[in-house]
This record gives sequence, C-alpha cells and structure tokens, in this order.
Amino acid sequence: MKKEILSEIAIYSGEVEPPEGFEINRESLALDVLTFQAKDSKDFPFSKTLDVLNTYLREHINLKYRFQLISKNIRGTAYKSKETSFPLLNVDPMDLIHSADYTLLYGIEVEKCSVRILYDDNRNTGRVRALPLETNKFILFPSTQTYYIINNNRANSLNFIQTIIYESI
Amino acid sequence: MAHFAKISEDNEVLNVVRLSDKNCLNAAGTEDESVGQDYLFSHNHWPRHLWIQTSFNTRNGKHALGGTPFRGSFAGIGYTWDPVNEVFWSKQPSPSWSKNIASGSWEPAAGPEPDLTAEQQSQNEADTHFWLYAWNEEAQSWDLQNMKA
Repeated sequence: MKKEILSEIAIYSGEVEPPEGFEINRESLALDVLTFQAKDSKDFPFSKTLDVLNTYLREHINLKYRFQLISKNIRGTAYKSKETSFPLLNVDPMDLIHSADYTLLYGIEVEKCSVRILYDDNRNTGRVRALPLETNKFILFPSTQTYYIINNNRANSLNFIQTIIYESI
Repeated sequence: MAHFAKISEDNEVLNVVRLSDKNCLNAAGTEDESVGQDYLFSHNHWPRHLWIQTSFNTRNGKHALGGTPFRGSFAGIGYTWDPVNEVFWSKQPSPSWSKNIASGSWEPAAGPEPDLTAEQQSQNEADTHFWLYAWNEEAQSWDLQNMKA
C-alpha cells in the first residue's frame, strides 16, 4: 500500500524571533505603512528593519522547509476598526506563469485580527480556513488562494499588516 | 576570499556568505575572524557572535589543498555549529554513523570507505565504469557498486 500526494495547499505560520537586541522595529514599519498608504505609492519604502524581517523569514523558511523565496512585491496596509478587506488574490489568473507563488502576512501591530483563506477540497469548493494573525507573527500560504482579512480591533486603533509576495525556487 | 556562516541562536546554519579578504584583515594585515564578524554585523544587522568563519576547502575533516583542516567541514544551510568542539556538523548520513570529534567528520562503525583498486580507478578514468562504495545501512558495510551497470 502506498500514498502519493499530487498537490497540497500548505499554510506555514510562526513567530519572528530574532536574537535579543535585534528585534524588528515594528514602530518604524507601522510608520512606513502609513507613508505608503498616504502616498498611494507603488513601492513600499525600503528600510533596514524591513530587510531584517524579510531576510529572517526567507532564511528560516529555507532552513526548516527547504524552499527559497524571492520577494516580488511588498506592501503594507493599516486597517481601521471593524474593517474587512475585499477578497484578495495575489496572482493574475490570466497569467499564472508570471504570478507569485506565496503570500506572506506579517502582523506589525494587530489586535483581534483573523485571516480567512478560501480553498477547495475533494468535494466542496469555497471552504474557509480561519487563522488568527497576531503581532510579530506571520502566515505564509500559496498565492493562488483567495483570502480576506477581518479586523475586530478597538475603535481608536489600527491594525498594521505587512504583505510580502514571494516567488519560490 | 573568506567564508562565514550565519547561525541562529540554536546553532543552526542559516546562510553562508563570502567576504573579500580585505574585510577580514586586522591592523597588522593578517586575517582575523573578529574583523570579519564586525564587518558582517555592521552590514547585516545580525549579532557578531553568530557569524562563524568556515573553510571552503575543508570537507569531512580533510583540507582539499593539503592545508590544515578548519572546523570539520565547510558549513552549509542546515548544518549545526558545535561551539565546544568548533566543528560544523552536517546531517547524520545514516543512523548508525557517529561523530569523530578529532577529525570533525561522521564515521560508520565499519570504518571509512575502502579505496578503489588501481584497476577500478583506471576504469573510472576511461569512463567504461563508474565504481564507488555506497554505505549499506542494513548490512553495516560498504558495497562496491558500478553506477554505469
């Protein structure tokens, strides 16, 4: 008897734990998110903190799961209280070959935030896997999955989320 | 050219980077690991003590160019740094293999693989055969195999 896996939808999640004294400067990232949104810019501002975060994620995922990630696009979003995002999809269905492989969401500063990832199984379409997104934690999943973000944060606060789109090799 | 392994606090090798010789020289003009660590710390924002120099020419406790082996083996992603014995360990090749601290390499109980005979070597060179010894974990012995058969 044997088993063969033809394809899988894997979701990776975890915490970003750099060495003591080298923690991610989340305040600076949150500020960059606001700048990025205010300017309606295409390019997220490059910073040392962003580079440290991106390098940490890529190296640790490669170490643990043995695949390399190359960042294709970076953006940041500040969500208002009770705001639910539109359904998000980070591939172009008409050009999958040039589309990204993975989407990573990192909680810069979040409170009561949930990511709903839509997927199909053998029998049902449109199933939902809900995962909490917390501060300094990440969720990585295939970019071919549609997802949306639900925020239940307090009225006077914002949820800051970094999105990094990766190509995998 | 010098090579440094970037390690985690759990001593796992995350990455290996290459550094120009000039970035590893101290005031006296000699290669100094701490100078390379300082350079990498200032350019990569990763603690100094988590950058460990490794030798490109050292494999399994042997130096390919006849020099002095340095820290067991050239580090690779997923290797483990042993700070007590100053050795980079690769993954255990087979469950029965054990660490030889002195040479900085993994070794089976049956000893290292036998040398090929002169005839086998000449056949390999002539490309008529491709003889090599492969470890047989079940039989705990080295099996001679011709990969071209």
